[in-house]
Amino acid sequence: MKTRKIEMGFTEPDMTPMIDIVFQLLTFFMIAINFENTKADERVKLPRDMLAKPPEVKPEHELVLNFGFERDKEGNKKNAVPTVFYNERYVEVGQLTPDLEQEKRVMELLHGKEVIDKVTVLIRADSEVPTGLVQQLIKKCQDNGFSKFSLRATAEEK
Amino acid sequence: MKLNNRSSSLSKVEIPMAPMIDIVFQLLIFFMLNLKIISPEGNFNINLPVNAPANAQQDVALPDIKVGLRSDRDGNLVQLTLGGNNLGNDNAAFDRLNAEILKLIGRPGNPATAQIEVELDADYECQYKYVVKAISRCTGRFDPQTQTIARYVEKIKFAPPHKPK
Repeated sequence: MKTRKIEMGFTEPDMTPMIDIVFQLLTFFMIAINFENTKADERVKLPRDMLAKPPEVKPEHELVLNFGFERDKEGNKKNAVPTVFYNERYVEVGQLTPDLEQEKRVMELLHGKEVIDKVTVLIRADSEVPTGLVQQLIKKCQDNGFSKFSLRATAEEK
Repeated sequence: MKLNNRSSSLSKVEIPMAPMIDIVFQLLIFFMLNLKIISPEGNFNINLPVNAPANAQQDVALPDIKVGLRSDRDGNLVQLTLGGNNLGNDNAAFDRLNAEILKLIGRPGNPATAQIEVELDADYECQYKYVVKAISRCTGRFDPQTQTIARYVEKIKFAPPHKPK
């Protein structure tokens, strides 16, 4: 009787379909990633609005101020008084002047004295923050020479 | 002279795939971990020049549109006003504001009313979301059919802040 000889040698798997898929995934994630939003603080629950569209021209210089409530993991407020999240610290609006002065000094050192007129202060305020405190924050910035302001909101899809 | 059979030797050259797959997987993991699914954010520009004289607007032919937001101590909207008119305190009030602004400017992008400004006068406690909503309704209207934004008033400013209740 003839016996069939079974080859037990090493067989290479076909890698081409896997590489195709991996490249497709890589391309998707590379396109979808957005490094611009790294300054966005997730603790701030921005107001939502239909007209909030991303700006066509990005400001040359910007100062992002995240203004909201200290919250726990469930999203409940830990503190009723909203604070500015500045360099991992919670700063009340009334005590923000030294930090704004420091921002101004650094910007002037890096880009020259006139830069302060070109800086856009981007206010990312929580939807439940009292408007009076947002106005107080704007006033603090104005006292330090900042004159351009933008209010941030999340684009609402319908 | 012996000639090498080049065509057959070239066809057998295999590119080592393992290092490439290693790198591609590392890149894939990096991008996967760094991806944050968040909604896009947009800006509303407001006009707040430093040291602007308080009576600078008096020479302008068109008076400012005054929008008021009155609230209770918890910051909930009690009344939305345009000039002296009460528009209500619900979502429909903001739609009414939008319609009234359109009446005042005539048509979107009207050059005759391009210099007109909206002054927002909000209570200290009034929640910020209502202010953003009012700014949005003054700025324009999103048309869902054409997927475009009709621009109404571009210039928004704040009235001096109120004292807390």
